[in-house]
Amino acid sequence: MAIVRTRAQWLLLVGGLIFLATLGLYMSEQWLDWLILVGIFAVAALGMHIMTGLCGQFSMGQAAFVALGAYTTAFLAGSHGWSPWITLPLAGLVAGLGGLVFGIPALRIKGFYLVLTTIAAQFVIMWTLQQPSWLGEGYGLSAPAISIGGSKLTVAQFWWLTLVIVVVMIFFTKNIQRTTTGRKFVAVRDNDLAAEVMGINLFRTKLLSFFIGCFFAGIAGWLWAHYYQTANPLLYDFKLSLFFLSMVIVGGMGSTTGAVMGAVTIMLVDKAVPYFSDVVADAFPSLGFNIPAALGLIMFAVVVIFFIMLEPKGLYYRLERIKLYYRLNPFAY
Amino acid sequence: MDVVLVQYLLLGGVYALIALGFILVFKSSGVLNLAHGRMVAIASYILYQMLEVWGLPPWLGILLVILSGAVLGYLIERLAVRPLLGQPFLSVMMMTLMLGMLLEGVRYLIWGPDSFTLSFAPKAGQGWLGNLLPAWVSPSNALSFAVAMLVFVLLTLLFRYTKVGLSMRVVAADPEVAQSLGIRVKRVFSISWAMSGAFAALCGVLMGMVLIVTPNTGDMVLGLGLPVLLLGGLNSIPGAVVGGLIIGLAQGLGSYYQPWGLDVKEITPWIVMLIILLIRPWGLFGEKRIERI
Repeated sequence: MAIVRTRAQWLLLVGGLIFLATLGLYMSEQWLDWLILVGIFAVAALGMHIMTGLCGQFSMGQAAFVALGAYTTAFLAGSHGWSPWITLPLAGLVAGLGGLVFGIPALRIKGFYLVLTTIAAQFVIMWTLQQPSWLGEGYGLSAPAISIGGSKLTVAQFWWLTLVIVVVMIFFTKNIQRTTTGRKFVAVRDNDLAAEVMGINLFRTKLLSFFIGCFFAGIAGWLWAHYYQTANPLLYDFKLSLFFLSMVIVGGMGSTTGAVMGAVTIMLVDKAVPYFSDVVADAFPSLGFNIPAALGLIMFAVVVIFFIMLEPKGLYYRLERIKLYYRLNPFAY
Repeated sequence: MDVVLVQYLLLGGVYALIALGFILVFKSSGVLNLAHGRMVAIASYILYQMLEVWGLPPWLGILLVILSGAVLGYLIERLAVRPLLGQPFLSVMMMTLMLGMLLEGVRYLIWGPDSFTLSFAPKAGQGWLGNLLPAWVSPSNALSFAVAMLVFVLLTLLFRYTKVGLSMRVVAADPEVAQSLGIRVKRVFSISWAMSGAFAALCGVLMGMVLIVTPNTGDMVLGLGLPVLLLGGLNSIPGAVVGGLIIGLAQGLGSYYQPWGLDVKEITPWIVMLIILLIRPWGLFGEKRIERI
C-alpha cells in the first residue's frame, strides 16, 4: 500500500472510490454506458502505458490484442459454455501470448520499424480472426452476459464490476513501477544500450512488457465482449488502436494517472461529437447524414493534433505544473 | 495463371508509385508520411467530383487534381510537419496519422460512403490502346503501369542530373551540412512534400482507373505502400519499383493458388512485410542504417 502515502491521499482515494461507486445508483443509463466504456478503454490504455510509456515499445496494434481477448472469451464462454470467471485470466493470457509472438521482432528492431510491425500485427490478427468458421467468419461471436448468483448483471452492476477491475489494474500498474521489473522497463526505454551493459536482459524485458501490455488489452477485451455480449471484428479496427495510442499521448507518456486521464479526455471528446454534429447539421443541412461519423474523425484528430503541437508532454504534466504552482505559492521557485 | 500474374505485375507498377510517394518524403526529411494513403483517397474523390459532378474534360481534371495534390502536400508540410522539426519520431508519425484521419473526416463529410469507378479508363477491346494489347491484358492496368514506369525514370533523372535533385540528396545525407553549404533546407522539404503530394494525386488517378475507389482506399493504399516501401528499402528509388513488382506478384500468386481455400490477397503484403522486417529490416536495396540492439 506504499503507493498511497499520506492521510490526505487516503481520504481522496476512499472518497473518490465511494463517489465513483455511488454513480451507479443515480446516473442515467446513457452516462453509465459511457463510464463503462471509459473503464474498458482505460484498462487497454494502461496496457499501452506499460508497453509504450514505461518500456518505450510503441504499438499501433493494441486493438487487435483487445480483439484476441474478446474472441477468447466469446469462444470459450459463448460457444463452449465455460464460466466467464475462468475465461477472464485466459483472455488476458491469450492476448499476452499474441503479444509475445509479435514482440519477438523487438529483439532486432526498434523505433518505427517496430511501429510498422505492430501495424502489420493489427491487420494480420484481425484478418486471421475473421477466417475460421468457428470464429464467425467476419460476423463475430456472441458472448454471454455475466451473471452473479443466477441473475444477469444490470448496467449499474456492470459498472461496479468494471470499476473493480480498473482499480485492480491501476493498483498493479502503479506497483509495477516500484519493482525491479518496472525499473528495468524504464532503463530500457531511456537507454537500451546502457541497460544491457548493466546486465538487464533486453529481450526478456521487452517481451515481458509486450506480454503485460497485451494482457491488459485481453482483460479489456473480456470486459467489452461481455458488456456488448458480442465480439464483433468491426469494433477492433486500426482507428481503435490509434485511440489507445492517443490516450497515452494526450495523458502524458510514462504516467499511470496520465493514461487514465487520457482515456477520459478522448472519450469525452467522443461523447461530445453528437452535440457538435447537431449544431453543424443545423448550420449546414446540405451535408446530411455524413456529419456524425465525419465529425467523430475530425474532432478526434484535431484534439490529438492540438496536444502534439501545444502540449506534447500531456495532461499529466500540466496537472503537475498546477500542483507545483499551488505548493510554491506565492513564490515561483 | 500467366494472365493473373501479368495483371498483378501491372498492378505492381501502381504499388511502386505509391511507395515512391513515401520515399520522396522519407529521403529528404526522414518523416514516414502515414497520411499518404488518405491523400491518395482524397485525390481520387476530388477527381471524381471534377469529372462526374462538374463535368470537366478528363485531361483538365487530371491536371487540376495533380496540382491540388501538390498544394495539399505543401500545406501539410508547412502547417503541420515543419513545426515538429526535431521532435521525437513518434510525435511526427502520430501527427501524420492524425492528419490522415482529418483528411478522411473531411472526405467523409463531403462524399460519405460512396464508391465509384472513373469512366474515362480505357476498356478492353476499345480505343487504340484496347486494340493494341491482347484481350487478356486490361488496358487501364497497362496504361497505369506505363505511367508509373515513366514517373520512375523521370524521378531517377531528376535525382541524378538536376540541381534540385542534388540538393535533395545532400539534405537526405545530412541536413546540417546541407544548410551550411547554402542549400535552403526548408525549401527542399517543401519541394519534396509538394512532389509527394502530386504523386499521391497521380496515384489517386491511377487507382481510380484500375480499381474501384471506395472509402477503404486510404487504408488499402497504406497497406500496399508500407510493405513495398520496406521490401525495397526505405530510401531506395529502384527498390520501390522492384518491391512493387514483387508485392504485386506475391498478391497474384496468393489470389491464384488460394492456400487452404482462403483469399489471401489482402493479407499477403503484410505477411511479406513481417518476414522482411524479421530477416532484413533495411530492405532489399536500403541503406543499412538501422540501429541494431
